[in-house]
Amino acid sequence: MFGSIWQYVYTSFLRYWLKWLIRQATGKCELQRICSEHEPGASRTTRAENSLQASKNKVLREALKSSKDHVEQCVDQIMKEKNIKPQKDPLFKGRLHVCLLQITGYSSLYTSVEDLRKEVFSSENPEHEAMLLKLWDLLMPTVKLESRITKQWGDIGFQGDDPKTDFRGMGLLGLINLVFFSENYTAEARQVLSHANHPKLGYSYAIVGINLTEMAYSLLKSGALKPHFYNTVQGTPELKHFHQLYCYLAYEFDQFWVAEEPESIMQFNQYREKFHDQVKAHLQDPDVSLALSVGSD
Amino acid sequence: MGLLSILRKLKSTPDQEVRILLLGLDNGGKTTLLKQLASEDISHITPTQGFNIKSVQSQGFKLNVWDIGGQRKIRPYWRNYFENTDVLIYVIDSADRKRFEETGQELAELLDEEKLSGVPVLIFANKQDLLTAAPASEIAEGLNLHTIRDRMWQIQSCSALTGEGIQEGMNWVCKSVNSKKK
Repeated sequence: MFGSIWQYVYTSFLRYWLKWLIRQATGKCELQRICSEHEPGASRTTRAENSLQASKNKVLREALKSSKDHVEQCVDQIMKEKNIKPQKDPLFKGRLHVCLLQITGYSSLYTSVEDLRKEVFSSENPEHEAMLLKLWDLLMPTVKLESRITKQWGDIGFQGDDPKTDFRGMGLLGLINLVFFSENYTAEARQVLSHANHPKLGYSYAIVGINLTEMAYSLLKSGALKPHFYNTVQGTPELKHFHQLYCYLAYEFDQFWVAEEPESIMQFNQYREKFHDQVKAHLQDPDVSLALSVGSD
Repeated sequence: MGLLSILRKLKSTPDQEVRILLLGLDNGGKTTLLKQLASEDISHITPTQGFNIKSVQSQGFKLNVWDIGGQRKIRPYWRNYFENTDVLIYVIDSADRKRFEETGQELAELLDEEKLSGVPVLIFANKQDLLTAAPASEIAEGLNLHTIRDRMWQIQSCSALTGEGIQEGMNWVCKSVNSKKK
């Protein structure tokens, strides 16, 4: 009770007086202090984001919703609004610019990811079909696919003889992630596949991959991945950064599964939750960076 | 004392727990059905590796619904979940005509299982929202459902996607549990 009253009083009055006082004493506004006192990455960008969000000034709040091409304009407007002189704080402009690229880029990344997720895999689309066959060739370079509809798909962990029904709620996003991992981290992907095909400890490589795409997608949607992208991309995060995060999850989940030695595949959801909790715990760390430490780009 | 304790007294009989097993081939719509029953978002569903379980309150029952993955590789595990099943719900993709034979065989094997003997079975002829879906009557005939004599059974056409027909099916489930009790 007292806590919520204090919270109200603080956010509605005290915060502004305090900021005004500090501004008078230091000659710098809150954004300037954030940009100069904190290291680049999540610690700076998260604070800048909160500060802009809580601002009474519409120009500052609106900057959070701007697009990549307008970010520079927004920075100029903010500096004008806040009466910040570039001569006095020459580094500020560049720093705020990066922060805003990261913040607005996160939302636009979600939009791009959502578009791919909504795109349904279609056998009539030659690009989709080519991607699916490419996945097979990357994972099974020495085995020829006998036909498009075949039980062989089970060897890379699809459920039936036509993978198209397995993409479901993740749409094309699930397939693109699988292909990206196999293409950019081929050795690792094949290693994971060999673990997945273990007679006792095995799991279904492709559908677990689609499940992990869902994990990456939900983490992105909830905003939980912000610190990770703020730390690892000094600018606008792109789709490839999202695919890279998927690679991290696919590789790390496999390591986790092998180490835990579950009784059978029926325990999958239980272990998936445990792994999910671990990932979320990592994301609480302001210095988090969920990068695959092996392989090359 | 007051309203709260009166309410508590009214609710002194705890909900009877019912164990429901949800089976069927992969891509039949079991998880979508489960999520519909629990009023959850159905737009991000992925293939079930292992199983999902949810508890739903309905008509004075606590329905514990077990949704077991349908891919061929994990069908041998189905039997691990047979014990103490009150009602079996078997889900069929009514538009996947190519696999009617396979789904019929799996159902026949389930009905022969000793641990499931006498267990009422509801067959959901799912995906009726698709133009190519076979009507429930055609599926019933193809599966020879009329030859089932050792248990209560029902076929219900539904669309787990739109929710149509699910309530009717679940009403039958509750009714069959009630009549089994007597």
